[in-house]
Amino acid sequence: MTAPRQTLPAGDADAVHRRHVVSALVVDRPGTLNRVSGLLRARSFNIESLTVGTTHEAGKSRMTIAIRGDDGHLRQVLAQLERLIEVLEVTDLTSVPRIELELVLVELDPPPTPSEELALRGILASAGGETLSTDPDLWRARLTATPDVIDHALESLRGHGLRSLVRAGAVAMAADPTTPSNENGATRA
Amino acid sequence: MTALPQPVSDPTATVAPRIGARAVCEALVREGVTTIFGYPGGTVLPIYDVLREFPLRHILVRHEQGGAHAADGFSRATGGVGVAIATSGPGAINLVTGLATAMMDSVPMVAITGNVPRALLGKDAFQETDIVGIALPVTKYATVVMDPDEVPYAVAEAFEIARSGRPGPVLLDFPKDVLQLETSVPYPEPYQLRLPGLLRPTRGDVPETDDLAEMIASAERPLILSGHGVQIAGAVELLLQVALRSEIPVAHTLLGIGNMDETHRLSAGYAGMHGWMHVNKMIQKCDLLIGIGCRYDDRITGKTSTFAPNARIVHVDVDRSEIGKNVRTDLGIVADAGDLLAALLRRLPQSEPRTAWMDQLAAWREVSEARSWHGSGAWREGRLTADYVVDQIGDATDHQATLVSDVGQNQMWAARYFGFRHPYRHLSSGGLGTMGYAVPAAMGAALGAPERETWAICGDGGFQMTMQELATLVQDQIPVRIAVLNNHRLGMIRQWQEIIYDENYHSAELLGPDLVRLCEAYGIPAWRATRPDEVAGVIAEARKAPGPALIDFHLDEAQNVYPMMLPGKGLSDMVEGASE
Repeated sequence: MTAPRQTLPAGDADAVHRRHVVSALVVDRPGTLNRVSGLLRARSFNIESLTVGTTHEAGKSRMTIAIRGDDGHLRQVLAQLERLIEVLEVTDLTSVPRIELELVLVELDPPPTPSEELALRGILASAGGETLSTDPDLWRARLTATPDVIDHALESLRGHGLRSLVRAGAVAMAADPTTPSNENGATRA
Repeated sequence: MTALPQPVSDPTATVAPRIGARAVCEALVREGVTTIFGYPGGTVLPIYDVLREFPLRHILVRHEQGGAHAADGFSRATGGVGVAIATSGPGAINLVTGLATAMMDSVPMVAITGNVPRALLGKDAFQETDIVGIALPVTKYATVVMDPDEVPYAVAEAFEIARSGRPGPVLLDFPKDVLQLETSVPYPEPYQLRLPGLLRPTRGDVPETDDLAEMIASAERPLILSGHGVQIAGAVELLLQVALRSEIPVAHTLLGIGNMDETHRLSAGYAGMHGWMHVNKMIQKCDLLIGIGCRYDDRITGKTSTFAPNARIVHVDVDRSEIGKNVRTDLGIVADAGDLLAALLRRLPQSEPRTAWMDQLAAWREVSEARSWHGSGAWREGRLTADYVVDQIGDATDHQATLVSDVGQNQMWAARYFGFRHPYRHLSSGGLGTMGYAVPAAMGAALGAPERETWAICGDGGFQMTMQELATLVQDQIPVRIAVLNNHRLGMIRQWQEIIYDENYHSAELLGPDLVRLCEAYGIPAWRATRPDEVAGVIAEARKAPGPALIDFHLDEAQNVYPMMLPGKGLSDMVEGASE
């Protein structure tokens, strides 16, 4: 409930612009998503992906937000995010070891030759994927991998009859379960 | 990590059923509310229908914006939580400027709005609007209460959110039928509130103060920059004690006015864009700048890359997200200003007077005061200038009055020349800069702190934005003295156009009514002054009025506020300006 006091580092000194992965534990209530996305919009962040789902605890949801921004600017925004009454905990996973996965559904042209099929299945396998249906006129498949691997696999699939795709957005958790929420070390009950 | 508390408390703990509207009023009384500012409408009529049953004084404002500012003024003058009520649709939307004003200045406030019955929500019913959606970015919290059983908790939690940590406004939206249906849920005890995500500052000692004490020990030219947070924390006395112990001079921001008696030997004065040159020079020269309960906002810093170039910068704020937001920070401490100052007092030895540093301040002060409009004394030549008017109001009221300023030149003149001695006496829209704030906020301040005389100081522009509240002042005989610094201009606009836009004056001239005759129509005693020798007399007359009074000061029209920090510039290259 109470945030421990912290001596904070210098603010906007670090202007490294990079992709951040943020995990936020929030109250599952109408309007929560609106508040979180509204705060990011008001600071002109373009959200790369935002996923939200229920957790093992009733009434709490977990958001994973992938977003690009300067370290210092983002740290300040995350502190503002933490101020929201519906937000219980914010963790920037960018600089810590993490498990990060994304689910993608794709529609493909059926491979015209056995060697094409072999190549296609190879690409799918490289991104933790498999075919879901193989009708004569349309194949469907899923991929489950880190966003980097997904990006690479999707690029390859463009040369192998990729028709359309749906990305779920990244979900992530810290590899070390003791990672404190918020890089400043704040935790709340 | 604990599970979330469940929505409603022990179902066996019930009270006699009452409708939602009564539960709202009961909750306000339980929270110690005595005065509410409102405007009725279809969806809040259930509340108005039962209002007489409760010890709540309702002030019928003339526009909901006036109600919101009045609630804000009530909060600032009392340290309590002001309450505003509005109906759905336009009524609720009219509150928004007042909510944003309170949000920017960390003012606790609870706004209650009605909405259409639940069955009509989302169907574009008459006077329906998504006020929660509109209010989200300008409130600390906003929510719609969809169940009569939620009413007691919603109101209790709204007050807790509004006043805890860094305070702010909260909006509660009640569909009409929620106000009409009964609930047996009792008003919750504080421990029953379900606010797991509410940030509460850690209280008690602040261990990081060790680092700050070391920095102070090694500093030769330290300066404290004190902001609104000091008064919110009720830490004015502690600030004085720390200043005396450490012999560190104290500057203040606009909302930090009143943190220290301006005549105290350690008070440096008002800093920033239109602050005193001697204070800004101190900021640029100091080797340790200790910001306490301030935001280091752009009106203080100017160009941040040239701000306090010789100093290690310390930032103490109760809100973590403020630290490092605007300026480089060598030491940031998340703490309540009072806790920090108390922790500092425990650690600091008695310092010797910092003679060289204070002599430097005195030398700079002499020059900057002599160059000011007031110091140069245009009023001695028979020209009615704003600094003279503000100074005379300060003297006449022995600097005890609550002074509510509007926005623009009048705000800066009030900040520079009133001579504040006490906390909670200067109210102004510092962050949002809301023109039209002064008269309605003064209304709330006068009701909240009736033991003090209340003055509103505004320009003729801001006055005309909310002058409909004159009728409220008359109806409830609220003793607000209004000083209109009338230059028949949007003065700050004119000043910018003169200095920055090559004297291209567009829309700066402002036609206004004859204010004395306007007041006559309202039944408000009013005076006009055009010469300096008339000022003391009309102030004395206005002070005798039992209810509201107004003075229309016809100013010398060319007066600018100097010094001035131009956009994109820093504290070291301020325009001192011609004093005529």
